[in-house]
Amino acid sequence: MDKNQACYLCKGCGLGEALDFENLEEVLGEAGISEVKTHDALCSPEGVALIQGDVDGGVNAMLIGACSSRVKNDEFNFGSEVIVERASLREQVLYCSEAEYEGEEEAGEDRQMLAADYLRMSAVKLTKSNVPVPFQLELEPETALLVVGGGVAGINAALAGAKTGVQVYLVEKEAALGGFLGKMAKLAPETPPYQELEDTGLTELVAQVEADDKIKVYTGTTVDKTEGAPGNFTITLSGGDSFRCGAIVQATGWLPYEPEKLAEELAYGSNPGIITNVDMEAKAKAGDLGGLNGVAFIQCAGSRDQNHLPYCSAVCCTVSLKQAMMVKEANPEAAVYVIYKDIRTPGQSEEVYREAQRKGVVFIRRDEDYPKISESGGKLAIETMDMTLNDTVEIDELDMVVLATGLKPNNPKVVDAPLVALGMDQEAAKKLAAESKAQCDDWSVLNLQYRQGPNLPTLKYAYPDSHFICFPYETRRTGIYAAGTVRRPMRVSQAVEDATGAALKAIQAAHAAAEGVAVHPRSGDMSFPEFAMQRCTQCKRCTEECPFGAINEDEKANPLPNPTRCRRCGVCMGACPERIISFKNYSVDMIGSMIKSIDVPEEDEEKPRVIVLACENDALPAIDMAARKGHKWSPYIRFIPVRCLGSVNLVWIADALSSGIDGVMLFGCRHGEDYQCHFIKGSELANVRMSKISETLDRLVLESDRVRVEEISFNEVDRVPEIIAEFMETIEEVGPNPYKGF
Amino acid sequence: MTYFLYPGCSLEAGGSHYQVSVEAVAKALGLTLKEIADWNCCGASIHYVGGTELQTKTLNARNLALAQNQGGYDIIAPCSSCYIQMIKTAHEFEEDPKLAEELNQILAEGGLNYTGGVKVRHVLDVLYNDLGVERLAAAVKKPLTGLKVASYYGCQTTRPYGEYDSVENPHTMDEILEALGAEVVPFEHKAKCCGSGIFFTEMETCAPLAGGILGEAEERGADMIVTACPMCQMNLEIYQPRLNKMLGTEYDMPVVFVTQLMALAFGGDFKKDAALDRNIVSAAEVLKKSAA
Amino acid sequence: MATKAYDKSFREEVYQNVDSGEDVKLCMQCGVCGITCPLRGEMTHGPRQLWSLIRAGKREEVMNSPDIMLCTSCYSCKVRCPRGVKVIDVMHGLAHYALEQGIVPRKETAKFGKAFWDSIYKTGRVDETEVPMRYTMMAGPIHGIFNMLEMMDIGRALLAHKRMKFKIGPGLPPSKKIRGMKGLKKMLDKAKSMSPGKEG
Repeated sequence: MDKNQACYLCKGCGLGEALDFENLEEVLGEAGISEVKTHDALCSPEGVALIQGDVDGGVNAMLIGACSSRVKNDEFNFGSEVIVERASLREQVLYCSEAEYEGEEEAGEDRQMLAADYLRMSAVKLTKSNVPVPFQLELEPETALLVVGGGVAGINAALAGAKTGVQVYLVEKEAALGGFLGKMAKLAPETPPYQELEDTGLTELVAQVEADDKIKVYTGTTVDKTEGAPGNFTITLSGGDSFRCGAIVQATGWLPYEPEKLAEELAYGSNPGIITNVDMEAKAKAGDLGGLNGVAFIQCAGSRDQNHLPYCSAVCCTVSLKQAMMVKEANPEAAVYVIYKDIRTPGQSEEVYREAQRKGVVFIRRDEDYPKISESGGKLAIETMDMTLNDTVEIDELDMVVLATGLKPNNPKVVDAPLVALGMDQEAAKKLAAESKAQCDDWSVLNLQYRQGPNLPTLKYAYPDSHFICFPYETRRTGIYAAGTVRRPMRVSQAVEDATGAALKAIQAAHAAAEGVAVHPRSGDMSFPEFAMQRCTQCKRCTEECPFGAINEDEKANPLPNPTRCRRCGVCMGACPERIISFKNYSVDMIGSMIKSIDVPEEDEEKPRVIVLACENDALPAIDMAARKGHKWSPYIRFIPVRCLGSVNLVWIADALSSGIDGVMLFGCRHGEDYQCHFIKGSELANVRMSKISETLDRLVLESDRVRVEEISFNEVDRVPEIIAEFMETIEEVGPNPYKGF
Repeated sequence: MTYFLYPGCSLEAGGSHYQVSVEAVAKALGLTLKEIADWNCCGASIHYVGGTELQTKTLNARNLALAQNQGGYDIIAPCSSCYIQMIKTAHEFEEDPKLAEELNQILAEGGLNYTGGVKVRHVLDVLYNDLGVERLAAAVKKPLTGLKVASYYGCQTTRPYGEYDSVENPHTMDEILEALGAEVVPFEHKAKCCGSGIFFTEMETCAPLAGGILGEAEERGADMIVTACPMCQMNLEIYQPRLNKMLGTEYDMPVVFVTQLMALAFGGDFKKDAALDRNIVSAAEVLKKSAA
Repeated sequence: MATKAYDKSFREEVYQNVDSGEDVKLCMQCGVCGITCPLRGEMTHGPRQLWSLIRAGKREEVMNSPDIMLCTSCYSCKVRCPRGVKVIDVMHGLAHYALEQGIVPRKETAKFGKAFWDSIYKTGRVDETEVPMRYTMMAGPIHGIFNMLEMMDIGRALLAHKRMKFKIGPGLPPSKKIRGMKGLKKMLDKAKSMSPGKEG
């Protein structure tokens, strides 16, 4: 494509008074953009019409020097064929810098230089940008949906998928559909006024599945192999059947926590009257609750306990309430006790709690110590601390003690080295990761034929990793969504909701793959990484570090990209030491050239220069908001947005420091256990990589203080000026970069 | 506007100055008050010693039934205890059909019947909502300028239903007093308990409660405590000498009814309308301060 | 540490026989009632612990607790209880239940309350002169006279300020009855027979 470039500068919002536009036009001219137009309000209909007129006349690449790229996107959108680069003169120049300094003659000089640098960088970016061409799969893209797991989540995902008209394959390892729902006697009240136990509704659900000709059901079947990528998965089943699908929902449910592990604490196995909530449900299902006169439920049996499951399973309280109500329904005279640490009744389950109380169930709050269960006269007795009475109490004449055990995901545990690296050296982290991989080597749900292993990576406790707030059903395998209790403990009604959400997300992912665009967080992005293979050294960094396992390897360790698995974060680009990976509109050379285009004043001018590589997901909005809030900071700072800190290639640091820039900061998202990174591992990888930067700096004979990584979240607006001020002080102490002028 | 007045036992005796001033205020504002003929005691706070809950509700249901038979006007119950007992029965009658049936079964023994719907109102509710502070301010002839008052609601004035004011931080009486021209001091004890029905029999135990209220009023520089509850008025006023002995204090704090101040501000007579001569800790001295 | 064995008979007794007793079931032991009570410092157990004791079946401890009769009826607990437990109604119910069994959790309040209720039951109203007089005389003739003399200052002051009727002693002159007293008495008797624990 021949580029016909132009630049539009806006004088609105106070820019006209603050900047010398003749000077800016000269700067642009030097940067190779001779066609420059100014307007008093570019985003006004007249301003937009001015640009549109030029687009109609053949302009297909433009630089708009106005406000932040995060605003006015509708106004400055001239179609996918027109490249638009935005220089944020308003937020990053006008709002955050002082108009003039007291007692100084050269009012606004720093500000003018700041604006000029942003235009230079944007001009370089524009010159180096190309219009992305969406990736096209070789085969006709497939939109069918595979749902693995035929429990309540799987069935609902299949039904939701079929309703949209796509072909659905529902695979269940047991002989019949139903999962744990099929083992449940009743559901705790789910509808107002939350007083009556409800039927599971399974028969009706199964009937709906059977009546739906869009759903093909495989029971007694598992997945032998999952090959390919979104839009083009090939599935091989244990029975030998094989088919293509576009996306996958994994709804493989949960496993009960092993009660044998509670033999010591809660005497499990010592007496047939000591059972788990799962056993209790089976008894209820079998109609075997008659003749019970005394029953006690012990909550948090192996839950919220560092020696067992450290987390709360969120459903055991409601389950015990339900089962206590069942006992009371069978025999209203029965003495029923629930011994708990905290009753946790999410959503409307509080009403169920009330109803159980109304029915006369007695609740006793215990401390951290497990109650002691003993046998006396053919009955069971419990001794426990009663926190309200502040005394030990004894409950005897019990026919049954039910241990309310928790839920484990039915998913192999996979731990990633970089994710556990926090506070741990890399070697130890890798060892831990290897151990966890070894533990799950013997089984896999999907048997993914992926370079990074056959399973969905997990964050903790074998729950699939995802950005749980923003993208709840997301996993780290694009096009594969987790739904129901495999994702986190939840009750039936929540699993139904989860399943619907996951199914729709999966269908969306298949369509995105067909169109060659990214799914969130870069929804609709048509660019994708391209590999200049002739320069590849088979170092495997890209294949190992891709947070989404997008890149496979051939036998010679050459990377085999799968663009439809890719989220376009650029982590591979940041990882590649040979700099062979680039996007049409984002590359190592582009950012490097932008850095080099910054005008670095001589040392004696005493105007240092600092660049900030800022994550465009969280840090950039925080910077914009800080500027809009009226915060001011040093005019020697230049922000360069990056897709993710994980895409930062170390060569940029070298580029900056060798061109005389005094300091480099990286603004990224929080990493570690409560990470905020939109690409999961990006900011963590940046931290790991930067920890090794001192070698590079040593080679350049430079102080390591010149490079700093800062975590900044979306809402930490007021920290922006603080961090900058602090860093500028450090730079002043360290002194000017000795490479200035080279 | 016509209302029933339910004076209750207190207003016939220890709270007689409340009754006199309520009637004076009603007259000044053009309200007609009719006493419910042959009313009985509400049971008050101490009812439970001799009676069951249903018996206490019976007492109140009878009054509601009488009111319904005699015209069904809203009932003003100036005494907080009467108010709470009566509104409690009225509420539960509407909410609980089983109770309603039981009560009518009981009322039938005395030839009465109640179909519900009679409204029970506190005197503050009527003043604030039916008349409004603007009308009250307009009726003021001698503003209480310069008078600093601690506005004390006590418990049963707004609790438990919060029918017309906040149960935790009421404000209606503050606004009424301000409309009279008085200065209302901040008062954290405004809705704290004075000891109520057991004050008389558990005085040692309850002394700190009453002491706290008197103490804060004094600290805030209030000239007097203003209340709308005869029990509070009595507990805080007539036992002051005893409290002083028990707590080692020297309180000499007038405790007056809000309606007494209103009667005065509306141009009424100190004795005849405001019945301020009936206060044992005299408010005459501090009232001289204001123009009234 | 004393071990208390749970016994279900007392809680069933309370649920069935005590006014609002079933509300005890709904308590979730948050303790808001306890910290809300103006007399929390004077109570040994407070409502929350009483409810737990009821559920545990500690009849003796509950029925003999002076706490059950220390309620000032301020309604703070009732408005703040997140479960809508009618805390004060249960307290009153428990006190009534204890008194009926001949247990007197707090002597003075019990005496005064009895005089109060007697007045209602006899006349339909409470005579604010008669009731304190009867209450003071309950201490016996000699103590009664002393007690009465002790109350004289208050009585005199009330009398002087037209806030009390003149009586030379209990029943002298007798208090007036409401006109419908006969009917009221019938109603109260009927109500009693329909109260929890008294049906049938």
